[in-house]
Amino acid sequence: MANFKGRYWLNFDAPRSTQPLIYQMGKQFEVVFNIRQATVNEEVGIMAVELEGEREVVKGAIAWLESQGVKVEPVEINTIEG
Amino acid sequence: MSEPYFSSLKCRECGRLYPKKAVHVCEYDFGPLEADYDYERIKSVLTRALIQSREKSMWRYRELLPIDGEPTVGLQVGFTPLVKADRLAKALGVKEIYVKNDTVNYPTLSFKDRVVSVALSRAKELGLKTVACASTGNLANSVAANAAAAGLDSYVLIPADLEQSKVLNSLVYGTKVIGIHGAYDQVNRLCSEIAGKYGWGFVNVNLRPYYAEGSKSMGFEIMEQLGWEIPTHTVVCMASGSLLTKIYKAYHEFIKIGLVPESKFTVHGAQATGCNPISLARKSGTDLIKPQPKPNTIANPWPSALRRTDIMRCGPWSRRVAGRRMRRMRRSLRASSCWPRRRVFLPRQRAV
Ligand SMILES: [Zn+2]
Repeated sequence: MANFKGRYWLNFDAPRSTQPLIYQMGKQFEVVFNIRQATVNEEVGIMAVELEGEREVVKGAIAWLESQGVKVEPVEINTIEG
Repeated sequence: MSEPYFSSLKCRECGRLYPKKAVHVCEYDFGPLEADYDYERIKSVLTRALIQSREKSMWRYRELLPIDGEPTVGLQVGFTPLVKADRLAKALGVKEIYVKNDTVNYPTLSFKDRVVSVALSRAKELGLKTVACASTGNLANSVAANAAAAGLDSYVLIPADLEQSKVLNSLVYGTKVIGIHGAYDQVNRLCSEIAGKYGWGFVNVNLRPYYAEGSKSMGFEIMEQLGWEIPTHTVVCMASGSLLTKIYKAYHEFIKIGLVPESKFTVHGAQATGCNPISLARKSGTDLIKPQPKPNTIANPWPSALRRTDIMRCGPWSRRVAGRRMRRMRRSLRASSCWPRRRVFLPRQRAV
């Protein structure tokens, strides 16, 4: 299996920061997730996570997170500059 | 230089040390890696006289830049004019005001030449043959031009729907421009993936610790040009927030090695109201800076999310400059004594 590893910052807004989205993602997609750090307050949540699996499956998991309203940024946060 | 003064890369979050390779985030917490120096040794060699004896470029402060040997790319970059703008000071009701005019940087007339020349000098030291970036304009041009001069292959990734004219200059330098289709977030993630995959030196990704340090040179120059003093207030365009933190670092480094006297100073970040994620985060007291994907402003800051901790260390918070006020300030700038048309007001901010 050609394994793919991606490192991301997940950004949740208030209603989503209380939902078990990572758990649900793990149930639906064949990806290994490794949480490196996380902070949550009343307004937002932010989580550093490594996702590992088939590239297409990881992409599917990311698309699902996005459909749930989570913003998924690469570890660099922003790679595109002016 | 015999022994490099640049000692290691260090995680800004947990302090772990990393070798000086093309790596940019901590394996443990994804914290950004930053260049660290042997300040004691630098203090023993770097004097005002030594700096003044050197060429007028950003490399006159080379001991405080993250390379091991002599610089090899962008030797002419920096030492741009610090313009005293008396009429602007009068219009704004302040005693004294200076504008750092980084639009006359060589070779591509942009602030980006500073950061790119450090990234590419380091890329050559690391033996990399190909460099790249993802950009919507100035960065692309600077990478293309400096890579051509340095004899490095280069790639520029752009969102496919970008106006072609914005990267036309890059094509002239013979870089390979690749358009990527997709929503902003998808393109952003793909660029990160590509950077890791091909072993390229991606200036603002895996060469980021070197690239970002280039911004400090602007702070060093400001202090020297003011007669070895730190300005009481410095207003910096926020953009991604990196320039502001590096100016702050530059001031502290000069104090640490005794090149300027310690004084009270504040570095302010400015964002246009139409695109002010950092200022909004501050107002709402959140821990996270939310990106604004569709900025509504005449300035051209790239929307980005970042955690605010680094910026918080720089003191008072970003001031928003309302779009109308910004236009007015631009008009005052144009009308002020030595301000040609189509120049930037704050570093990194586009002019109309
Ligand atoms: Zn760390």
